[in-house]
Amino acid sequence: MARTNVLIALAMAAAVAAGCGSREPAGGGAGDRGAGNAKYTIAVIPKGTTHEFWKSVHAGAVKASRETGAEVIWKGPLKEDDREAQIAVVENFVTRGVSGIVLAPLDDTALRPAVSNAVRSDIPVVIIDSDLQGDEHISFVATDNYKGGQLAGKEMARLLNGKGRIVVLRYQEGSASTTNREKGFLDEIARHPGIRVVSANQYGGATTESAYRASENLLAPLKKGGKLDIDGIFCPNESTTFGMLRALQDSKLAGTVRFIGFDSSEKLVQALSAGEIDALVLQDPFKMGYLGVKTLVDHLNGKEVPRRVDTGVTLVTRQNLQQPEIQQLLKPDLDQWLK
Amino acid sequence: MKAPGLGWLGPVAGLAGVYLLFALIGPESFHSARNVEQILRQTAIVGVAALGMTLVIISGGIDLSVGSVIALTTVIVAAMLGRDAPPAAAAAVGIVAASLCGLLNGVLIAGLRVVPFIVTLGTLLVVRGAAKGLAGEQKIDAPLTWLADLLAALRPEQKWMLVPAGVWLMLALALLVSVLLRRTQLGRHIFAVGSNEQAAHLSGVPVARVKVAVYTLAAVFAGAAGVLQFSRLTVGDPTVAMGLELDVIAAVVIGGGSLSGGEGSVLGSIVGALIMTVIRSGCSQMGLPNWVQEIVTGGIIVLAVALDRMRQRRVVRA
Repeated sequence: MARTNVLIALAMAAAVAAGCGSREPAGGGAGDRGAGNAKYTIAVIPKGTTHEFWKSVHAGAVKASRETGAEVIWKGPLKEDDREAQIAVVENFVTRGVSGIVLAPLDDTALRPAVSNAVRSDIPVVIIDSDLQGDEHISFVATDNYKGGQLAGKEMARLLNGKGRIVVLRYQEGSASTTNREKGFLDEIARHPGIRVVSANQYGGATTESAYRASENLLAPLKKGGKLDIDGIFCPNESTTFGMLRALQDSKLAGTVRFIGFDSSEKLVQALSAGEIDALVLQDPFKMGYLGVKTLVDHLNGKEVPRRVDTGVTLVTRQNLQQPEIQQLLKPDLDQWLK
Repeated sequence: MKAPGLGWLGPVAGLAGVYLLFALIGPESFHSARNVEQILRQTAIVGVAALGMTLVIISGGIDLSVGSVIALTTVIVAAMLGRDAPPAAAAAVGIVAASLCGLLNGVLIAGLRVVPFIVTLGTLLVVRGAAKGLAGEQKIDAPLTWLADLLAALRPEQKWMLVPAGVWLMLALALLVSVLLRRTQLGRHIFAVGSNEQAAHLSGVPVARVKVAVYTLAAVFAGAAGVLQFSRLTVGDPTVAMGLELDVIAAVVIGGGSLSGGEGSVLGSIVGALIMTVIRSGCSQMGLPNWVQEIVTGGIIVLAVALDRMRQRRVVRA
């Protein structure tokens, strides 16, 4: 029996060797390009690895790696969206002793001890996408969500010529990024006394399905004689925008009100070209990955880096949809970087 | 129960093999003392839960609700701390709540005579749902207390502890379960029920009571693992530890536990948990993509179970 067990051990070792050995040379990556930064190894840790959004972040990080010569290791939590798994990834890179970490924290509190531990071990951390409590990280590189909301508010005011009735379908309690978008939007609208906010206390919830239901409930009392008694709608993220779009399409009301959404997907872009959505506010995940790594390399080279880097928001409308820089945002050429 | 006391030899050799392999091909940091501490820290949660699972698996059962019980415990501990409960009381309430889940498992399995797989598959969903409902479908923030230090990396001034308190807790509990299994009547009964339930019943073992005890104990360990999980997260998270029951079961099986009951060892289970952490840590520090890591871990689990089956057949033939 003991002999069988030794066999298990050997077989395990062989399996690990087969799995790991084949990938080992990949480590050297962008080693000799760029000047002087080849000694840097930077771990980039997203919230997950399968979503389109994170693929764009990855592509941006690879671009920065090629420009600076620093080696980038892309490693998400083993389980998508799992806080514990992400903490373990951070810890492993700290023990490995990378030059720096670029992290998109799954939680603004739970990742704090892991980041403190990194900083204690002289590993600087740049936070991207979502903020982390505390001030131990050297920089926060992300969309200015408040500004994104304001941008949507300005466009709404322009579309309505400064007067009308609007509704906002919020996303979810406790979600910082979307709350800031809603606040930016409402603050901007408040500067136009002719526009009245009919409803801004309904939440779409986490899924498209829940947002769809919330939209139907929100619109039901506003229907008068086959038309909507409002002039404009704002939704602060992809799932609420899509849920609202479906609700409008179902009751054949799409296109009858001014509708501004946030983020993009193929369906949303289709609706934009069909005139069912008037504008979408886009973030720039590619730039997040790119500037996250760039900022960290600058810091490692002793340069002063800003505490907050805004990766910008862009308003997409039917008029500018075909412009190359908008197309680049909607469909970044990932193959060029991730092949 | 052939060759008692040697069942752990294979897993220990496996652990040594995997560790040496990564020490050879992995980055230099892998074989640092610091990484050893980290591997132990990252094993503590699965390790403590695996102690309970060892009892369950030796008794011929299975407990799929472990991950959910851990999540429920983190939520309860966070909620208690948020209401200004002292940390020790918060942890105690969390573990008591966990043990109630285990009691429910045990009573349903022994009372309704439904197979453990189905009962605990049901409570997996029930308890996960309860955790989400209790937390209002979001994570619960909690004030920082000493609970958060249980599994934190040691600060320079704490180096005298060698490993964090949570790891010591795992070792102490392992010793306790080892004594329970080898030196007490309950321990002998658990082996008896797992080896041959009918025979155990006929020779006067109170099978139902043993089962209730086993599942309740397993949940107490899951609760302790939940407190450690809370310590790592510092928040109550109703979605944490999803699928963790599979890691825990794998740890026991890699460690020589047999899913057909009657076999398993405490040391083996802890070593099984360590093997999985070592693989994770090694692959992660080498910067391997997750898909390679998942394939490697999966391959090892299947291999271990396959060899377990081979051994079973040999026992039957002998």
